[in-house]
Amino acid sequence: MLGTGTPTCAGCGALENIKIFCDILGEKTVFVNAAGCMTLLTVYPFTPFRGSWLYTAMASAPAGAQGVRDALDLLIRDGRLAPEEYLAVVVLTGDGTAYGMGLSATSAAIYRKLDFIYICYDNEGYGNTGYQFSAATPYAARTATSKGPRGYRGYKKDLFAIWAAHRPAYVATVIGTEPADLARKIEKAKGLRGPRLFIALSPCPTGWQFEPAKTVEIGKLAVKTGIWPLKEYLDGKVVHTRIPPPRGRRPPVEEYLKRQGRFTHLFSPTRNEEILKDIQASVDAYWEGVI
Amino acid sequence: MFRIRLHGRGGQGIKTASRILGTAFFWEGYEVQDAPRYGAERRGAPIFAYVRASKEVINERGIINRPDLGIVADESLLLLPVADVLGGVTEHSVLLIVTDEAPGVWKKRLNLKGRVFSLSSKVIVEEHAGFPLVGAACVGAAARLVGVISRKALEKAIREQLRPLGESIIGRNLAKARTAYDQMEASAGCVTEREEPSADSYETPHWIDLPFEEAGLSAPYIHAAATSLKVETGAWRSLRPVIDRRRCHRCGLCDIYCPDGVISLDARGYPHIDYQHCKGCLICLIQCPTHAIKAIPEPGLRAKRHQGRGR
Repeated sequence: MLGTGTPTCAGCGALENIKIFCDILGEKTVFVNAAGCMTLLTVYPFTPFRGSWLYTAMASAPAGAQGVRDALDLLIRDGRLAPEEYLAVVVLTGDGTAYGMGLSATSAAIYRKLDFIYICYDNEGYGNTGYQFSAATPYAARTATSKGPRGYRGYKKDLFAIWAAHRPAYVATVIGTEPADLARKIEKAKGLRGPRLFIALSPCPTGWQFEPAKTVEIGKLAVKTGIWPLKEYLDGKVVHTRIPPPRGRRPPVEEYLKRQGRFTHLFSPTRNEEILKDIQASVDAYWEGVI
Repeated sequence: MFRIRLHGRGGQGIKTASRILGTAFFWEGYEVQDAPRYGAERRGAPIFAYVRASKEVINERGIINRPDLGIVADESLLLLPVADVLGGVTEHSVLLIVTDEAPGVWKKRLNLKGRVFSLSSKVIVEEHAGFPLVGAACVGAAARLVGVISRKALEKAIREQLRPLGESIIGRNLAKARTAYDQMEASAGCVTEREEPSADSYETPHWIDLPFEEAGLSAPYIHAAATSLKVETGAWRSLRPVIDRRRCHRCGLCDIYCPDGVISLDARGYPHIDYQHCKGCLICLIQCPTHAIKAIPEPGLRAKRHQGRGR
């Protein structure tokens, strides 16, 4: 459904997600796209989308979506658009927007029960401008603005919990390298109305520093090691859709970390046992709370 | 004023190379501009960077249309119209090409009037050095060809620009740059400064007159679906995935995992790759459970096609 010939990097994990979203949502969509890597999909006069697309500033995509939704609803109400020409409004933003400067507008849109789908392609940093850290950057990762020997000193914000606390219709974490899980969740959201939000982890060869051919391998390790839990929120309940084997039987998280250039400082010239233990402990603690 | 234009592919370190070259000029007392051309291009896509250096104040701005030295870090760009490597290249311009063919071959093939130098593409082999060594080799050779950059200034510039990458990477880049610097010793100073011709002699742009339209029409609306198909991102590729049908079990995983959606399955379930758009990420190669996909180098393919046309 999504056209080829886009300017995203070879091996783009975000595009892997969006390709599947477009296949399932179809062409009856209006994408409202906040500034970020994926605004490069549509650079005049080229677009890969078969439906409509609108560009907004980083902080205001959900507000743009509200305007589009209201206008479409009025057109249908006044008989200027047939009800069967219903278009789904889809917000598309990166993590810089979703976890940071667009969070307020998203909070307000969920609060107003806006009927929309939100896709956050989360590559854990400002990928379009040289990979600076964002509120989605994981602990200890090296970015253009966290180059010290210990990497980024903050912790990835729990956006899933923040969004779910607003009690929207649906929230899910997904990844394009688990296409069956992703497709099932999009189908589920498609059948609902109201705010439906997705956080799609997007392995980024350029920012995370790995060979483009390894995108799927790294995405699968994110799920297998338990560092990226696949889950959904529906009707007030959180359900994990993929539970990795218990501690000791699942691969250690360093299998995921050591394949990425942004974590090499944890392994060479000397192993940073303290930070590696911290990261493993936080993954283990998460899953102990689930099981 | 020296005007140097660098051509490469995203990921080859062309932007850093232009910064090193600019810094080396600066340490020799020149006023310098160095800038990459920013666009939506990504890893593998054609990239441009520019260096101006002069003992006088530089008032000129923007892209360099008539280079004194053109650096081509990837020979496949010479056959790619969008890379426009030969734009504004005259008998005055010197070209430095990373290639395994003799300079004379390219001179003849492209009907070049100016001098051509080559650097062996073997420099690319150690690509995973944090900064691809091809950039360092190009900078070393260029520094010698302009003739005004001392070895000391070159090394100082490399150390300064690559400092965050650590000593071992700096060391490897210094070695590559020194080798290339020495290789060009006999031709030191063959790139010479040239005054920009006066604006009167400029060729007028090939304007197309468009009448004014009302705002609703003239805003950048795209009234068609999936126009991105017109963009041939296949030109970004350095390795071409090729499917061996005899080993293919028709599982379709290559199609599912291709982020660009360039693989389609025919009626019998066999995958086909759209080479006009495949960027060569090789996810399909790694994910294929029966190892039915292999990668072959792209420049070799292009050279063969080129020879075929010549006959």
